[in-house]
Amino acid sequence: MIKVKNLYHSYSNDDNYAVKDVSFEVTKGEIFGFLGPSGAGKSTTQNILTGLLELQKGEVSVAGYDIKKIIPKMFNKIGMSFEQSNVYSKLTAKENLEFYRKLFDVKTRNPDELLRLVGLKGKENKKTGDFSKGMKHRLTFARSMINNPELWFLDEPTTGLDPAIASEIKNIIKEQNDKGVTIFLTTHNMYIAEELCNRVAFIIDGEIKLIDSPKNLKLQYGDKLVEVEYIENGNLIQETFSTVIKSDKKKLQNLIGKHEIQTMHTKEATLEEIFIKVTGRRLV
Amino acid sequence: MLRRIISIFKRDLKVNLKDFISLYIFVIPVLFAIAINLFTPGINDTTINLALLEGENPEQVRYFKDFAKVELFGDIDNIKSRVKARDDIVAILPNQENYYIMSQGNEPKGVIEFAKILNSFYQLDIQIEDTNVEIKDFKRTIPPLKKQLVNTAILFISILGGMLIAINIVEEKVDNTISAINLTPTTRKTFILGKSIIGLLLAIFGSLVLIFITGFTDTNLIQLLMIVFVSTLLSLLVGFIQGLNNDDIMNAAGSIKLLFLPLIAGALAIELLADKWQKFFYWNPFYWAYKGNDAVLSKTGSWKEILFYSSMVLILSTVVYLFLAPKIRKGLE
Ligand SMILES: Nc1ncnc2c1ncn2[C@@H]1O[C@H](COP(=O)(O)OP(=O)(O)OP(=O)(O)O)[C@@H](O)[C@H]1O
Ligand SMILES: [Mg+2]
Repeated sequence: MIKVKNLYHSYSNDDNYAVKDVSFEVTKGEIFGFLGPSGAGKSTTQNILTGLLELQKGEVSVAGYDIKKIIPKMFNKIGMSFEQSNVYSKLTAKENLEFYRKLFDVKTRNPDELLRLVGLKGKENKKTGDFSKGMKHRLTFARSMINNPELWFLDEPTTGLDPAIASEIKNIIKEQNDKGVTIFLTTHNMYIAEELCNRVAFIIDGEIKLIDSPKNLKLQYGDKLVEVEYIENGNLIQETFSTVIKSDKKKLQNLIGKHEIQTMHTKEATLEEIFIKVTGRRLV
Repeated sequence: MLRRIISIFKRDLKVNLKDFISLYIFVIPVLFAIAINLFTPGINDTTINLALLEGENPEQVRYFKDFAKVELFGDIDNIKSRVKARDDIVAILPNQENYYIMSQGNEPKGVIEFAKILNSFYQLDIQIEDTNVEIKDFKRTIPPLKKQLVNTAILFISILGGMLIAINIVEEKVDNTISAINLTPTTRKTFILGKSIIGLLLAIFGSLVLIFITGFTDTNLIQLLMIVFVSTLLSLLVGFIQGLNNDDIMNAAGSIKLLFLPLIAGALAIELLADKWQKFFYWNPFYWAYKGNDAVLSKTGSWKEILFYSSMVLILSTVVYLFLAPKIRKGLE
């Protein structure tokens, strides 16, 4: 569904790359997670894939179309939910969807049905300028599936939503995927990624560090994580070490030799911890 | 493509009809027309109005109709009250062997002179072919103020079209919705065309309303619309650019006001400056548009002339377009 080979992008048109030598593939029917801290280059990559940003260097094909020469027809097949909601604030929720659906050549979904799906029933005829942030976000999300996309780009679909609604959104994503929709999911939220994604890519400073399934990552790092509490200069310090990464093993040996250990136990790594271990960076 | 253009236009219209500022822009042509009528009373027409007695001398009526707008009345009393009405109309009435002219007293001198001359010509049996010189000469004596005001107002309305577009583009920018449109099969060209329609329609309908209310109904509408169309193109371009460059409706509308400068300069140059200065205004599309409108409104414009003026406006606007197009395209990314 998506093929990316040696993708580079520089906003300043020089060697200062926001995205560097990124390559990956997303297969049909997959939920592919794009994980990384703020400024890693997630949105940049996604915007190149959807044609919002010009392709400077590299080869990209999306839904069977070469991104070098985008033809308008391609957009009938893809949908995108923006990180920052962008709807007409002077139109009502329903008017927004009614207008947007007319811009496609394919069969579109019923606006009322979509609004009900994202919990905006009863708010159809309210001007979105009077919507809360979360409501606008849900409308943007609903709009992204109006053309029954085969390939669905989701940029932070659950950020800023209350847990009940976030869980509804998660279910909608699952349902769409069950119907065969391929999903490219960009997020900070490791729990969502862990639960939804077939595979995840870790991206830092514009480079992909690793691509694997959450399951494999857990198998690899799962029980081999040690949480240690020790005392240094009179302070209690807590740290987590992998027992497979060489440098971690060294540090752990050092620690046991030099400090007084309070507690020490192995535990299952969360995706977030694996991310930190692999990339040496936190997610937020 | 057409379906999408219409959808974009309908959306703009829906938003504009609910918004105070754009609603105000919609009614400005009507306000202009009313203001022009108020400020230039008595000059309702570029032709002369004559009141005659019905059935008194049909041959004379036929003759006068070639040169003036003739109204027929059954008796002298009706004619009297008609002449007393606010606009400039004089009566030519029989007086035994001869004819006399009845006027209200406030008509321009030229109107009376014209009626006298016309009457003499009729009696001397001078035909329309012989009288060309006199007719043209007379035209200059009609106060051209109303025509000038209508002409300027038409160009002004075309600029309002640009303003409306700027307002609608600012809306898309502030709501950040252009990126959402870019993710549909809507091409940039379709989007630009769709967004242009409302400005173009405002210019066209606004001009029509204006000339109907101010009484220029008998001008050649196709010629008029041609000039309106080409002169609006420039305003639309500027509307797009200012919409993309501003995040605030008032700022965008404000920068479009800059267009009034060349508009006024063009109009003043034509009306006030001697021939030798004219060439310094050839770069100005409004200069040619004003000339074109003038030819249409005074009904002296041949098609060749109108086409020439329109082409000049079009060529100059194209130059501006070539300069601005990359910026517009970039702004829509
Ligand atoms: N329009 C722009 N002009 C210049 N630099 C930009 C622009 N957009 C992003 N960048 C830079 O490119 C890099 C990658 O940004 P990007 O938006 O892709 O990050 P991200 O991973 O999506 O972050 P977040 O999680 O905060 O959304 C950052 O260093 C950012 O400063
Ligand atoms: Mg981002």
